[in-house]
Amino acid sequence: MTMHSDLNPADFADTAQAVMESCRREAAFDGRAALLAESGLLGVLAPETAGGMDLPPAFAVPVLEAAGANLLEYPLAEALLLSQAFGESAEALVAAIVDGTIRPTIAWSGELAAQRGHLARAPFALEASHVLAFQQDGSAILFEAGSRGVKAEAADTLDVTCPEASLVLREAVEGVVLPVDQVAGLRQTGLLLRAALILGHAGECLGLARDYADQREQFGRTLSSNQAIRHRLARQSLSVETIRNAIARALSAGCEDRELAVWSAFLGACDLGATVAEGAIQIHGGMGFTWDVPLHRHLRRIKALAAQGQAAHVADLVAGRLTGTREGGMRHAG
Amino acid sequence: MTNANPKPAEGGQPVDHGAEARRWLDNNLPAVMRTDILQDNDPSIPEFRAWEGAMHEAGLVGITWPVAYGGYGLTLNEHLAVSREIGRTPMQESVNSIGKELAGPIILNIGTEAQKLELLPAILDLRNIWCQGFSEPNAGSDLAGLRTRAELTGDGWRVNGQKIWTSGAAKSQRCLLLARTGKAEDRHRGLVLFAVRLDSPGVTVNEITSIDGKNSFCEVFFNDVIVPESDMLGAPDEGWTAATRVLSIERATNRMHRAWRFENELEHLVTACLGDPATRHLVTTYRRQLAASRVDVELLKGHVETLVASLVAGEEIGPKGSFPKLFWSEAHQRFAALGLEMVSQFPADGSAALKAAKARMEDIYLKSRAETIYAGTTEIQLDIIAKRILKLGRGG
Repeated sequence: MTMHSDLNPADFADTAQAVMESCRREAAFDGRAALLAESGLLGVLAPETAGGMDLPPAFAVPVLEAAGANLLEYPLAEALLLSQAFGESAEALVAAIVDGTIRPTIAWSGELAAQRGHLARAPFALEASHVLAFQQDGSAILFEAGSRGVKAEAADTLDVTCPEASLVLREAVEGVVLPVDQVAGLRQTGLLLRAALILGHAGECLGLARDYADQREQFGRTLSSNQAIRHRLARQSLSVETIRNAIARALSAGCEDRELAVWSAFLGACDLGATVAEGAIQIHGGMGFTWDVPLHRHLRRIKALAAQGQAAHVADLVAGRLTGTREGGMRHAG
Repeated sequence: MTNANPKPAEGGQPVDHGAEARRWLDNNLPAVMRTDILQDNDPSIPEFRAWEGAMHEAGLVGITWPVAYGGYGLTLNEHLAVSREIGRTPMQESVNSIGKELAGPIILNIGTEAQKLELLPAILDLRNIWCQGFSEPNAGSDLAGLRTRAELTGDGWRVNGQKIWTSGAAKSQRCLLLARTGKAEDRHRGLVLFAVRLDSPGVTVNEITSIDGKNSFCEVFFNDVIVPESDMLGAPDEGWTAATRVLSIERATNRMHRAWRFENELEHLVTACLGDPATRHLVTTYRRQLAASRVDVELLKGHVETLVASLVAGEEIGPKGSFPKLFWSEAHQRFAALGLEMVSQFPADGSAALKAAKARMEDIYLKSRAETIYAGTTEIQLDIIAKRILKLGRGG
């Protein structure tokens, strides 16, 4: 790992925000990949030998927070995860992820048996060049989306920002295998990166609601001069800080039980993040219920991220840890 | 008694303060202080003194206070490590938390050297138990409206007024008293802080029975009480300004062990249910809510540990102290409601273990009602966040 003691994750926030704003104006998927690559953000977690910065996951947090806030239409969390997971074993592949020529995604649901099977919850699988699929033996395989026998279809999902696809693999695909012992780590880091995305979505919803409440006047005064609105916004602020602090703790060097801290950061983000987005819609009144106001996009995305991370299953893992029943690994959660 | 929290010898291995605290607590916690077994009575003041004095001698109390004042001169990181283990131990809360977590830090911040030398060691070894004389019948959340008057006379300060909700005053030796030197209309101006001896002539303490049937609450009357100038903390005006600064940090860090105590309460509830065939099914019935409570505990740890990291890095906490206060008080009430609902289904002729868990959960439920009221109500915390963090306007 490179020397990064002189770098601070917060230093990445401004750059990430500027890049995400550029991506908002870029209509093409490949164009957004190029913008992300040019900025170096695709290489935050990748080894230096593959053109990356070899930084710990804490540095991905402000990047993904900005991605969420700006409704980035690119599977950035997946690209970062794969650049890290394959960093040691497949340098050329990772270099191509970092420079945007390989634009990978992950099918978060379904498992392959003998490289065949049904996969789902793969964001941008119709646009992506490669897909990582989990396999029944606990490993995962990264294959080309256009491989023979692979059929991808747009899925009917809630999220309108990062549309998911389902895939059917009728023939055995060839690809690069991620060994069993690295899959759990990828899933676990994936939960934290999702929490960071949700932090961005929730923070943006709070900001929109705050600004609206401070400007909108009813009964001769701003909405924000009403205690009911002020307190609602204050609760949303608490929720956003709770997500932020939970992520920070899960990534801190002294975290006592990192697995449980990661599960909790993810579950807290799913629950509190959705509450913030829902609350922001309420504060906007009828405007909040319109297609043009982006709050629903954030809410849909938060719900999609919760589903991709299998929040209900993760909650069951937490309960299992507490009650000593159905203790499971991370095989299916992630 | 061995010291659980010795300083590392120069050049020696760093001490694992958490592990040392764990070992000491496991070996020394007396049955009378345990909250996970049935008790006929609350511990007596002498029993509290013996236990908390032993904890202090062992290095588990006064961790960040300077050695000259009876402390151990360590950092918030060591305080956090020890607090985790104190929280994980099912034991009574300190009878002197006002002294240790409110009066002490204020004295450290604004007290004279003589005051520090006299008052601080007596807090740690429980010679002086403290109560907080802030709230009045017409000044609860709105402290600036308080009316207790202090006039400077030839004998010292003459204090007249009434305080209420003064927890623990009947067993206290000192009161951290907030009074005003000017008119009530002066609001935040002219406020002065005292370390008043409660055995002073003119002090009357009346107990008030609280929601749990106990007499921990009090009202305290000050009738021409003479307080020597040497017991004033800071100058008039300065005292309160400094105190509010200290309070914002204390709001974030007091009872730092709380998250780990909540974890212990939750685990006690689950263990009790699983330990009896008649109640085992409750863990399945409430599986999802139990998981949510466990997540709440981890989220609270996130608030606490992030704030400690900020303080250690020298950052200002300011209004951010409202976040953990708001979160812990409401999360604990959610857990308390869950715990009560579960133990209400325990069989009437249950085992001693079930009875102990039931008694503890009922006690937690009732006491938790106060947690969104004291140390700044939920509504005050929300106001602070709206105004000082979100900077919401009042215009229009």
